[in-house]
Amino acid sequence: MPDWAGPVAHYVLHEGLPNTLRVGAIAIAGSAIVGIVLGTLLTIDFRPSRTVIRLYIEVFRGLPILVTVFLVFFGLPAISHTFEFNALNAASIALVLWGSAQVAEATRGAVQSIPREQHEAAAALGFGWTERHAYVILPQALRRLLPPFVSLLVNIIQNTTLAGVIGGLEILQAGERQSERLTSPPPIGVGHIHAFEIFAGVAALFFVISFPLTRLAAYLERRLV
Amino acid sequence: MPVALVPGGGHPAASLLPAGYDLWKFVSQYHDELLAGFENTLKISAIAIAGSYAIGIVLGAARAHRIPLVSQLAAVYVELIRNTPILVQIFVLFYGLPQFGILLDQFSVAWLAVMIWGGAFHTENFRAGFGAVSHNHHEAALALGFRPLSAFLNVTLPIGARIALPSSINTAISVVKNTALVYVIGYAELTTTALNISNLTLQTTEALTVLAIVYLTLVWSLSGAIRLLEARLALPRA
Repeated sequence: MPDWAGPVAHYVLHEGLPNTLRVGAIAIAGSAIVGIVLGTLLTIDFRPSRTVIRLYIEVFRGLPILVTVFLVFFGLPAISHTFEFNALNAASIALVLWGSAQVAEATRGAVQSIPREQHEAAAALGFGWTERHAYVILPQALRRLLPPFVSLLVNIIQNTTLAGVIGGLEILQAGERQSERLTSPPPIGVGHIHAFEIFAGVAALFFVISFPLTRLAAYLERRLV
Repeated sequence: MPVALVPGGGHPAASLLPAGYDLWKFVSQYHDELLAGFENTLKISAIAIAGSYAIGIVLGAARAHRIPLVSQLAAVYVELIRNTPILVQIFVLFYGLPQFGILLDQFSVAWLAVMIWGGAFHTENFRAGFGAVSHNHHEAALALGFRPLSAFLNVTLPIGARIALPSSINTAISVVKNTALVYVIGYAELTTTALNISNLTLQTTEALTVLAIVYLTLVWSLSGAIRLLEARLALPRA
């Protein structure tokens, strides 16, 4: 490995990677919780709540995620200072808004695919709406949700790079800063351009994380559906 | 900037918006720039959609018919693109390739990156679509004296492409949305234009409103129009 590569790899792996993983983890957990709740509520036959959730889903699935990131990062602080977030948190929130819309749509489909009799049998056993869904319907629906959820995981991990666009120090931003640094003459950089190696390395890092997950999604799809 | 409390009450919703928010003034003042940006968005979207469909149909056919070498190379291409962020791909094209003497301007990288990305997803869509065409159809065509290529063009393509239609349309819409990402290399499509104006004038909320309205209108009308088309092109139920 050439001399310049060591510090670059160290910076990307120690400064960038933890933030990428943190944004990804928040986005995935948030998307799952918000999405499953909204998706389940969407199956209730009550027009006002359905309209609001439907609008939420269509808006955040329709907007480019980058625009959602800008809305959270630049738009919310203009409304009130309480909504001022740093780049990483703003990206996490934007990814939750987008991811939860995806999960909600998938959950609605999964819940509605559970046969009517399951609802009726649970009701006959004396379960109310909440227990019926918590103990009978959702455990079955979530199984069907697993393959699309793993695909979403891959999407979210790749979209954590959007945090870098607004200056958050994730993998891609770390690579970008190093690539710029190296172009300066020594002692700061090496006076050469190594952009290709660095960004190819960043791509390889994402590939190593994503590829097993896409294989897993394909496997689950065959197994569970 | 403090929350704009409208003196003497006013509409409650008005207090949510920053002081001096004037969408109409913003749009009328920067009408020409925004329109030019929107045209550039449409331009790179159109090139990328056409190109990615072409890539997808050719490579999808190679994958479905297991044409040696091409099929394996296509599989590598698909996995590489699907498992790396498109932003990284844009960076490799724009900042990485010049190292090899390949200097692409922003416009070329803009449509090329989105096209390459869409092509990988379309390859998967069409591989599945062509793969779902009954083998008997293909054999029947061969038995009627069609050469393999004309059997593909006359039998597998019309049926398989229609099977792949719904998923390929979702990919095409994603291609349109992904054009916003070329903001990172500064190509003056809609997102870049609106953000640049807001950086100069601090009319951030207005710029973001324009972006949200235009993209939602574009994506929603595309998916609406396409649902109509889908109903017309769908395979008749046997």
